[in-house]
Amino acid sequence: MPDCTTNCVNEDILTMTIERYAAPQSLDEALGILQQGEVTILAGGTDLMPQTKAGRIAFKPTLMNIGRVAGLKGVSLDGAYLRIGALTTISELLRDPLVVQHAPVLAEACDQFASDQIRNAGTLGGNINNASPAGDTLVPLIVLDAEVELASKPNGSVTTRRLPLAEFFTGPGRTKRAANELLTAVRVPLPQPGHVARFYKFGTRPALDISTISIGIAGIKRDGALTDIRVAFGAVAPTPVRAPRTEAALEGRPLDAEAIAAAADTARDEVSPIDDVRATAWYRKELIHNMTRRMLDHVAKA
Amino acid sequence: MNVAEKPVIAAASLIGQRIQKKDAPEKAAGKTRYIQDMVVPGMLHAKILRSSRVHAKIKSIDTSAAKALPGVHVVLTAADVPDQQPIGVARDHLPLKGERVRSLRDEIAAVAADSDEIAEAALKLIRVEYEDLPVIATPEDAIKPGAPLIHPAPLDAHGRPQSLPPKTPIAFAGKADNIAMRFDYTHGDIAQAEAESDVVVEDSFQLHYVTHCCMGVSGVIAEFDASGNLLMYSNTQVPFLHKREFAEYLNIDPSRVRIIQPPIGGGFGSKLDIYPFEVICIFLARAAKRPVKMVFTREEEFLASPTRQPVLLTLRSGCRKDGTLTFRQVHTLHDNGAYTSWGATTPFVMMQTFSSLYRVPACDYHTTVVYTNNPYAGSFRGYGNLQATFAIEQHMDMLAEKIGMDPLDFRMKNAQDVGEVTGQGMEFKSCGFKECLTTAAERSDYRKKHADNIANRNARGPVKRGIGIASMLHVGGGAKIYPSDGCGTILKLDDFANVTLITGASEIGQGSETVLSQLVCEELGLPISAVTVVNNDTAITPWDVGVHASRTTFIAGNSAIGAARKAKAKILAAAAKKHGCGEAALDLRGGFVVVAETGEPVVELARLMRNLHFSDKAELVMTTFYYEPPSVHQDKAFKGDVSAAYAWAAQVVEVEVDTETGIVKMTKVTGTHDVGRVLNRLGLEGQIEGGVVMGQGYALTENLIVENGVTRNPNFRDYKLVTAPEIPEMDITFVESMDGEGPQGAKGVGEAPAICIAAAAANAIHNATGVRIFGLPFTPEAVYRALRGKSDKPHWPAWKPE
Amino acid sequence: MSLKHDIEFTLNGVGKRVTVDVAMTALDMLRDVVGLTGTKYGCGEGECGACTIRVDGETRNSCLMFAVDFDGRDIVTIEGLAADPKADALREAFVEHGAVQCGFCTPGMVMQASHILDTNPNADAETIKRGIEGNLCRCTGYKKIVDAVESACCGGR
Repeated sequence: MPDCTTNCVNEDILTMTIERYAAPQSLDEALGILQQGEVTILAGGTDLMPQTKAGRIAFKPTLMNIGRVAGLKGVSLDGAYLRIGALTTISELLRDPLVVQHAPVLAEACDQFASDQIRNAGTLGGNINNASPAGDTLVPLIVLDAEVELASKPNGSVTTRRLPLAEFFTGPGRTKRAANELLTAVRVPLPQPGHVARFYKFGTRPALDISTISIGIAGIKRDGALTDIRVAFGAVAPTPVRAPRTEAALEGRPLDAEAIAAAADTARDEVSPIDDVRATAWYRKELIHNMTRRMLDHVAKA
Repeated sequence: MNVAEKPVIAAASLIGQRIQKKDAPEKAAGKTRYIQDMVVPGMLHAKILRSSRVHAKIKSIDTSAAKALPGVHVVLTAADVPDQQPIGVARDHLPLKGERVRSLRDEIAAVAADSDEIAEAALKLIRVEYEDLPVIATPEDAIKPGAPLIHPAPLDAHGRPQSLPPKTPIAFAGKADNIAMRFDYTHGDIAQAEAESDVVVEDSFQLHYVTHCCMGVSGVIAEFDASGNLLMYSNTQVPFLHKREFAEYLNIDPSRVRIIQPPIGGGFGSKLDIYPFEVICIFLARAAKRPVKMVFTREEEFLASPTRQPVLLTLRSGCRKDGTLTFRQVHTLHDNGAYTSWGATTPFVMMQTFSSLYRVPACDYHTTVVYTNNPYAGSFRGYGNLQATFAIEQHMDMLAEKIGMDPLDFRMKNAQDVGEVTGQGMEFKSCGFKECLTTAAERSDYRKKHADNIANRNARGPVKRGIGIASMLHVGGGAKIYPSDGCGTILKLDDFANVTLITGASEIGQGSETVLSQLVCEELGLPISAVTVVNNDTAITPWDVGVHASRTTFIAGNSAIGAARKAKAKILAAAAKKHGCGEAALDLRGGFVVVAETGEPVVELARLMRNLHFSDKAELVMTTFYYEPPSVHQDKAFKGDVSAAYAWAAQVVEVEVDTETGIVKMTKVTGTHDVGRVLNRLGLEGQIEGGVVMGQGYALTENLIVENGVTRNPNFRDYKLVTAPEIPEMDITFVESMDGEGPQGAKGVGEAPAICIAAAAANAIHNATGVRIFGLPFTPEAVYRALRGKSDKPHWPAWKPE
Repeated sequence: MSLKHDIEFTLNGVGKRVTVDVAMTALDMLRDVVGLTGTKYGCGEGECGACTIRVDGETRNSCLMFAVDFDGRDIVTIEGLAADPKADALREAFVEHGAVQCGFCTPGMVMQASHILDTNPNADAETIKRGIEGNLCRCTGYKKIVDAVESACCGGR
């Protein structure tokens, strides 16, 4: 039997049909529908449509289009945080003055996201909930210490909880979001003085590639050294991952050639990617090594 | 307008102008109706159930549940079509497979239903039981002694292979080995030439799977009238050949088959053969007694439309110290896939490049095409020439390096010239090859950059620059493969001096309508807007062999000119008679008959047409012409001047190689093409630019990944076409060698631009890094591995055909 | 059969009421239900751009959009653009610059180009290339498409 990864569909889907379509206008209404259970959430649709058509995801009995829920869109300042509504599209993020000012690395990642048509449709919340290990916004958000805001209405009233994004993902397509919860916003702490952040996505095209690997690095740069370091990698594990050993190799050390080389070596050892149609594990590790080094060189020189 | 008011009309030519494509306004407005857009009243929608196994016996097929589904009209399996005939170049392919599947795309059953959704649902209700067979995933495995056979002979009652009459199609009689085709060509004395060589190099090259990716997916509509005549709406590039073939498969007279070609969403050679889906759609229409439409999904297009043929090639080349080429010896192993389509016959073109691109006294060429359980290969723009050129042009650089000669000088020394007759019998009546080489090299500053890049290889920084050159030879005046390589034209002028040009030549997006109109208008002194082209209905248009071999401008162009000149002669004779002057003194310009010398108008053409029509003689101006090029068929040894003209080009590719990622960025392509003569400059540039970028994809990004017979990336996400931000700067120039036989001196160029990009890129990467890569594509990981010495060099199996 | 839903939207300037299958793509609705075939199916996965339309002014891949999500929105397809005199210059630029060959990608390309012109009327060649990065063309090599859009940008100046 061949490995038929591309042609196989889940036969159960054939019997799955949508019994109810809802397009709530308010969060309260949306959470009420979620509370009833068995809901497929539709936002931009750019992942949901191809996944359902190819049979990789089955519709639940209720299809809820959250596109018209008020208050889930837009970027604002919220104390020491940048608050990004879950329905904010990638295009909106890319051009948003607050994002460009306070989280330029996120805007940069959005510029490397798919195509204009998809950026116009795809939402930040959707990109996060799709939980692809290669999701383009995830790595930069993780190194920015972003947290997600999840709302639910378990007992008739709305409650919210927050989770660090780095802890949100549990596997490809899987997160800690409970079935009755809606991801309403992402909060990104405003940068401290000296904050630097870099994002690298491997591809031969400016944006349209699914990333083979991606790298995010952030920290506070002072006197030639980085502290509060965050390093995260995409597409080298079932979820985007933080790289604590690489972070430790850099923390507080002067960013000289030796430190950079050591950190790059650590990064290569720290990841355990797989072979797939886009790259071998060996090559992914090489890329992690070489590009971590290149990014750190740039940070050192900046 | 009165003749008296009309000032003198100066001679003006449309040749070389930028002529807008006639069908572009409709297309830009989204009004063009492709086959995907067509609705025939009462039509059903069809889908095909394909094999889920790579190689297996079919033990049973149960269609009962599918047949019972409301909205399903017909479900067909091989058992329902006992009269089906094998299709394809080797007649080894039954459209519906009843006993055995040989590749993952194989057609097992088909459904015609009220909608696509119902047809799709019906497919899921069909149960197929398989018994797996060993998979032959590589040509190397296919030729191993004792390898399982892909097309074994059927067994007789005693379990022994049946021997059927020799001419029985392979699909019925089977085959004693996995060898689909063999090609052996030779000229000169190889042993002596090798003995005279100062330097010899030998390498193996691996060429990969790519596919056409026409933006419009495959589709067909079939319909029978009450008398059993078949009408097909088809995207074929060869309507007249297919008309005959479909008739054969239906066992009816060809006159009962009519093919209409709606505008086509890309061809590139993919529509030269008949594929199972077309025949199956006809069977469905016959059974349903309704029109049936079948359109692929994109995934299906990737899985079940043809590919370019993957090739393992080993090349041994020699030269003398003074830079004279001595010999070439070539063995290739072609992966045919499970069935034989045109891909198997690409050696016809490959051997031309080996024998005749440069002057080479001795050439020995052998191809073995073998069956595997992989997707099967068809024809694709360039037809084997990309593969051959990839090997030859790398060896040109390698030989030059070995003897310490500049690669450009080395090429110039061995380049063909006008008047040359090659060992294969090709006669170069026009040849701008050397001018192509020098022009492309000068415009790109090749020599200086080549030297500078070598000097900078060890400079700091991860990104290295490289420049590489490669050349190509391709047929440019048709190719005499069939009994005729001709094209017919019917030309009609109406009472208002508008022209209807009825041509056998098909428009597949390349702009043939426009260039043919241009050639007619050049003769008749009319604006392009005066021409209506009719070119898509076998019941109306005169015969043509089809869109292939870069032949349409040349063959159909000459045919159109022939018809236009006959019309012109008739018009001028009539004008001369009426106005009492010699017809030799007259010409046609700006919609008028004029005195050639002065440009003084004699009569408005439209008025003359009406005078002719409404006179006692009631004469219409309607002419026909059939053009057959003066080429000849090859003999059994593959020798003969198979094309009326040959196209040449040299392309210089510049790259930046990021040695830390392996990413190769193509920054600039400088191409010089011998096109004979520029006809429509706009259309010509479009062909060249599009071909260059297609060549870029072949070199850098496109890779249909087939593992153990399974296509792993049947989508645009992972089968990566070049996108707009990746295209190189392009500097395209033309050499006008004014071919004596060509229409207004032009030669065919449709395939030319894609051919040498990969070869030039290979040379450029070597120039940048000092590393030579013998396999395509140059994807980042492949390049990175090569730079780290971690790639396996392709190697020829320890096997030679006997 | 699947659940149906009634929606109301503006299509090329005219109000439209349609009942659609909730799982249907906007592309299928436009082509098969409404009968506007200028919007093309190229891949069904948002990778080729042949199905590009404008939704509330923004371009979207209609193959990735649920038809029910048209509800209340302003939709423009190539048929709407072709009838809009303001877009004549852009379409003419495609014709004049040789940006059309087989033409199958062209409607999506023109739609995306119209969006580039609206959002960045002074776009240079690099910006235009990025703007059409989600539109595949197999014939032209893109250069003449970029030239066409660039000339329409300059033409508007």
